[in-house]
Amino acid sequence: MEDFFASAISIGVIFLFGCVGEILTEKSGHLNLGIPGIMCMGAAGGCLGVKLCVMGTDAPSGVLTVVVAILFAVLFAGALGAVYAFLTVSLRANQNVTGLACTIFGVGFTTWFINSVVIGRDSVVIGKIAYAGRYFFNAHIPGTEKLGWFGGIFLEQGVLAYLAIALAVAAAVVLRYTRVGLNVRAIGENPATADAVGVNVTGYKYGFIMTGAAVAGLGGLCYVMGYMNGTVGSTVAQTIQGIGWLSIALVIFTMWRPALAILGSILFGALYFVSTRITGISFEQIPLLNLIPFVVTILVLIVTSIVGHRETQPPASLGLPYFREDR
Amino acid sequence: MGRVREPFIHITRREGMPLWKGLCIRVGAVAAALLIAALLLTLSAPNSKGFGGFFKSLFEGTFYVNRRGEMNNFWLTLQETALLLCVAIALVVAFKMKFWNLGGNGQVLMGCLACAACMYYLGGETEDPLVWLLMLVASVAAGAVWALIPALFKAFFNTNESLFTLMMNYVAFYLVVFFVALWYPEGTGVMPPLSDANLPTFGAGQMGKSLPVILVAVLVTAAIFCYLRFSKHGYEIGLIGDSKNTARYAGINVKKVIIRTLVLSGALCGLVGFLLVGSINHMVSKTMDGNRGFTGIMVAWMGKFNPLIMTGVSLFIVFLTRGMAQVCSDFGISNDALSDVVIGLIYFFLIGCEFFISYRVHFNVAGRRSRPAPEFAVEGAQKDGSSEASDASGAPEAPPEASEAPEETGAGRGEEAPAPPDASGGARQRQEEET
Repeated sequence: MEDFFASAISIGVIFLFGCVGEILTEKSGHLNLGIPGIMCMGAAGGCLGVKLCVMGTDAPSGVLTVVVAILFAVLFAGALGAVYAFLTVSLRANQNVTGLACTIFGVGFTTWFINSVVIGRDSVVIGKIAYAGRYFFNAHIPGTEKLGWFGGIFLEQGVLAYLAIALAVAAAVVLRYTRVGLNVRAIGENPATADAVGVNVTGYKYGFIMTGAAVAGLGGLCYVMGYMNGTVGSTVAQTIQGIGWLSIALVIFTMWRPALAILGSILFGALYFVSTRITGISFEQIPLLNLIPFVVTILVLIVTSIVGHRETQPPASLGLPYFREDR
Repeated sequence: MGRVREPFIHITRREGMPLWKGLCIRVGAVAAALLIAALLLTLSAPNSKGFGGFFKSLFEGTFYVNRRGEMNNFWLTLQETALLLCVAIALVVAFKMKFWNLGGNGQVLMGCLACAACMYYLGGETEDPLVWLLMLVASVAAGAVWALIPALFKAFFNTNESLFTLMMNYVAFYLVVFFVALWYPEGTGVMPPLSDANLPTFGAGQMGKSLPVILVAVLVTAAIFCYLRFSKHGYEIGLIGDSKNTARYAGINVKKVIIRTLVLSGALCGLVGFLLVGSINHMVSKTMDGNRGFTGIMVAWMGKFNPLIMTGVSLFIVFLTRGMAQVCSDFGISNDALSDVVIGLIYFFLIGCEFFISYRVHFNVAGRRSRPAPEFAVEGAQKDGSSEASDASGAPEAPPEASEAPEETGAGRGEEAPAPPDASGGARQRQEEET
């Protein structure tokens, strides 16, 4: 049972990164369907960062590796986020189409990048990255065994899990209690009005889309280095893509609230865990379990749409391009 | 202090760009993307054949003629184009209604699965024509049902259709995995091709295989073109896309049209599944949709939802995909994901270049306008200096602004009032162009 909850959290935080990233983006009025691709980019960048740190040295520094990996994940994901922002904010392209292009690009790029650049012909890298995943990203706080179930569930997570929860709380506070959050919510509801009172709409949109992308990118890093213990393979991008779509759905489930997303993502994590790790069933039944999270997501979408009221609505201008001269 | 500064870049809408000019911009965007791709590949590939080699391989993906004079690649390209176009056409029917059907992949897969199921259970049991008919009906019905489910919830509860259809993709994906494992429990999850109840071909070779598929695509495209343009249904779809309220006011049963249209959309995707399994592959795999649901969205959007332009776009995308695969194999790149990267790059450039077709960019060099036009000032936000401006109170700021903008003629439009304290000052010139 303890293992179950611990695993639910360790998977859930991947969703949490993606979900918080998408919430930040959507609050500025942009529906980013490129989140799956952007999460993949984070995985690609993170793997590269880890490789740079662990190769060529016998005793790589754990802290340095984690920091560099996070930095590269943010950089790669932010870059694709910047492309999305440039196309949709400055060039006013259709957000659905641009997002899908980002996903196609991100998934393709990551598959190619991890196989050709990160792993390449040197199979030593795989072991080294796995080592980093096992001992750096999933390092436990010493002494947690003494704390019983509490320690087992909450204190034996990898470093990225705490980062995810910290980011979710930070996002909740920023969106709810600060001037910046107020401004971005105003932009999401009605950019023309926000513009009229002097909010820099373009700047905010860029800022939030790229921050959202960076946060989501950490989700990709978290999947490869945290959940998979640094096991890099050729199907990484495909799996992250599925997780990315679930993260976007999670945004609706959590009603655009990062704090609720913490609970929602752990719930999704539990579902995902059940669907991948259940034992005692026959070989052909496994795919039926795999589709549980997707079916549940559909049910969640239906339920939230049926019982929908004012509080559960998306930002009013979500998906609409803003052109100041169109007023 | 908030000195008035003209924004360096000024953007206005433009309409009625000549066709050739728009085409030139798009061709330029594609050329730029291809040059970047060529540069990347020639520099990084282990077995690089240079710049010329890149373009030679790119064209060989479609126009390669083997020693026996067969143009297999050419026919494959046409076949792939036909399949992609069919999916894109199916999606356009929904997109015209602003129903974001992102579930093309799943609907195609369900069509594949239903067709394969018919072949698996009925193939060889009864006469082939009967099985063919059942395959067709089952595929079309399966695709239609896969689109009908989100449509019902969209119509009655306004459930978010883009995420719903996305999730349905994965449900279809795992259903295919499940059934393949069920039918071949000892296998590796790969289904061998079935020999019974294969659809007939037009003679031997790749051409005979491809022709039926191409024929179906031509018929579907023409039919949907007429359906959308000339039929009452097509008019209703377009009206709902423009404004649901107007449609409702005009007496259209919006729910009914949404459901009817999505059944059509899904049915066409199912038809593609029927062709993929019955005519081409004779088996089903979890990746048989070939991501055509997503590519189809790109085709539909870049083709401006016009079936004729979309034909050209899908031909171009298939040409690129096949060409890039050829380049990768010729350049010694084992990983064909690189072709996705190049395709993605081209999407970015094509999406971006649309901006230059529908908008005009003016550069404000040294305060001079690139084009004289009737002007008036509008008090509004300005990117730079807004923070300085908001620190000072708005009132003393307004006069210098007015004096620094001598061109302004429409003063006193009400927006000239002092800005509220938290609003930025900074008058911004606004050009109105009626072009």
